[in-house]
Amino acid sequence: MSKIEKALNKAREGRGNLQVVPVAGAVHVPGTAVVADSAAHPETIPRMAKSEVRLLGAGELAQRGIIQPQHSEDPAVQVFRELRTRIVQKSQGQNAVILVAPVSKGCGGSFIAQNLGAAFAFDMGKTALLIDCNLKSPSVHRLLANGSAPGLTDYLEKPDLDLAEIIRPVGIARYRVITAGKREILAEHFMSGKMKRLMDTLQRRYQERFIIMDGPPMSNISDIRILSELSDYVLVVARYGRSTNRQIDSCLGAIGDKKLLGIVFNDEPRIPRIF
Amino acid sequence: MSLLPEQIPRALVNESFHSRRLVVSIFVIVNVVVLTAGFLWPKGYTASTSILVDERTIIQPLMQGAAVATDALDRSRNAREVIFGRKIMDIALEHGGWLKTQPSVEERELLIEGIKKRTVISTVGKNILRIEYQDVDPMRALRVTEKFAELFMQESIAAKAAESGAAFAFIEKQTQEYQDKLASTEQELKELRSSTLDVRAGSEGEVTTRLNDLYRRIDTAMQELREAEVKGASLERQVSGEAESTAAISREGQYRARIADLQAKLDTLRLSYHDTHPDIVQVKQQIQDLTEGINTQRLRREQTKRSGKSEPDESVVNNPVYQQLRREQSQNQASVDALTARIEELQRQLQSEVSRGKRMHSGDARLAELTRDYQINRDIYQDLLRRRENARVSMNMDSDRQGLTFKIQEPATLPLAPTGIRFSHFVLGGMLLGVLIPLGLLYARLQLDPRIRIGSAIAVAHKLPMVTVVPHMWSPADLKALRWELVLLTLVVVATVAASGALSVMRLIKVL
Repeated sequence: MSKIEKALNKAREGRGNLQVVPVAGAVHVPGTAVVADSAAHPETIPRMAKSEVRLLGAGELAQRGIIQPQHSEDPAVQVFRELRTRIVQKSQGQNAVILVAPVSKGCGGSFIAQNLGAAFAFDMGKTALLIDCNLKSPSVHRLLANGSAPGLTDYLEKPDLDLAEIIRPVGIARYRVITAGKREILAEHFMSGKMKRLMDTLQRRYQERFIIMDGPPMSNISDIRILSELSDYVLVVARYGRSTNRQIDSCLGAIGDKKLLGIVFNDEPRIPRIF
Repeated sequence: MSLLPEQIPRALVNESFHSRRLVVSIFVIVNVVVLTAGFLWPKGYTASTSILVDERTIIQPLMQGAAVATDALDRSRNAREVIFGRKIMDIALEHGGWLKTQPSVEERELLIEGIKKRTVISTVGKNILRIEYQDVDPMRALRVTEKFAELFMQESIAAKAAESGAAFAFIEKQTQEYQDKLASTEQELKELRSSTLDVRAGSEGEVTTRLNDLYRRIDTAMQELREAEVKGASLERQVSGEAESTAAISREGQYRARIADLQAKLDTLRLSYHDTHPDIVQVKQQIQDLTEGINTQRLRREQTKRSGKSEPDESVVNNPVYQQLRREQSQNQASVDALTARIEELQRQLQSEVSRGKRMHSGDARLAELTRDYQINRDIYQDLLRRRENARVSMNMDSDRQGLTFKIQEPATLPLAPTGIRFSHFVLGGMLLGVLIPLGLLYARLQLDPRIRIGSAIAVAHKLPMVTVVPHMWSPADLKALRWELVLLTLVVVATVAASGALSVMRLIKVL
């Protein structure tokens, strides 16, 4: 039994809701969760195992542009792990709501948000919930087989819709998403009490849950201001060969230093080792 | 976006990879363009010849010291003027075989311009002229170069002969001018000399002596005149005033002596007689007469003094001293008149002598001027005579081609290898430019484009605690496509390089 398993068992005895399920055949990285291709659920959180769908295979993950823990040599994997560690350090072990907002459209904010969620889900002691707050061009639904299921806007509009109905597994252990939903609503709904209560509920219900909000471009200042109010930290995404210092300056002005976590410089071209 | 020097290489590599298709496209395009230029670039065969020239201008040594010749023009420029002249170019066109196709006037002009562009005329050292001509045909390059050298020498010799002829003509004309000038000066000098015969060089001393003598004589005469005048005045005074008064005083004295005698006689008579005695009355009458006489004399003397005229009485006139004075006075008057006449004569002579001196001076100045002109003209004339003979010899030498100073130092040879930029240079240049141009463009984009391409620059620019750089994530499908793309791009580059190399080799072995 590894040290991690010992620690987890100890935690289970203390909290009574954790379970270690070793995965046969998968590359086991100490301290991280494993996304396996097997039919068995490697879910360490029992409440999640019940509602888990078929886990995505390596090919499907790669197709969706999601990092995989077994590719530990991959610079992208290392970077997202590093990012996760920094956030955890910053939140001093508490869970947190992180708003990921691109400087402008096309900077890859959704890519960063999805992979940051995956990086949190790597950790068997943490879960990740990705909320698609980019109502104008949502993208989280593409992770799902059935993208047309109700999402955030439906929940905010329909009083009878249960929260459990919009939180959906994506086929990655300890990773859930809330899609943007089908309804076209105004961004002012983010200011509503229901939205605030939703965020409070999501954050307080499970201490190990890290919530990542896939935000709209920061050019949409009003939405960003509202969403940053709902979040603990803001991560700005700039893109190689697209964002300018002037754009970044105006974004940083809109957020303020208190919640700003840092900037992610996305899509730097590096020659991959392909041969 | 400004980059730090250490960031540039990595940024260039990233950017090159990012824009790999563009980079390869530019590489191929640049190579194709440069290779096309290489194909179109005419092959050049250069033939050259050297001519030893001892081309000193005729006029310069001839006129040395007497006139300043203008600076000799640049030799190669002169040669270019001669060779590029219409006459030689027409002969070159004919000799090079360009006229076989019977070109139009415009075509001929274009051909001539082409020949001029391909001809280089330069000087090697001081006296060697080098003519280089480049042509696509080595034989024609040789023929045209030889012809250029031959025609240049012919033209230069002819020009030199013309130059020496012109120099002789010029000196001849100058000589004639100076001869005329000399003759006219001589004539003028002659006339001046004959018109001022009395004025000769050396007369100035005599005039001065004579003038001095005249001044001295006038001074002496004036002195004597003044003395005579003083003497005359003295004599006059003696004759008129002093003698008269002396005579008058002596008469009064006689009267007083008589009065004294009569007074004594009267006193004696009074001792014996009364005053009424006739003797006493007579004596008294006599005394009164004498007293009146004295008064009369005194009045007369005073009147004489006032009028200045003396009327000497007979006693005085008969006085020998008086007569002596009168004689001396008349003699003195005669000498005064003589002296006055002499002074007038001397002054007239002085005037004449002064005017002669003035005339002599003006004549001397003109004479000196004419003499100077004459001497200068004579010197120049003699010099020109000598130069004219030199010029005649030079002209004769040139006309007999005795002064030939051209020699072919290095004859033109048939060029075997092409010169100038070769095809292989184009190939190498294409490769180099194909790499450098895209890199330069990318560098320019990095420097000028405000969009960020270096992650660490963000942390510096915005003083942020955390900047995470996420590399591009390749999906397996992307990687596969990238693999194929890279293989394809590599093949394109290799094919371009191979094609360039093959073309270079084919060109070398003259297949193309």
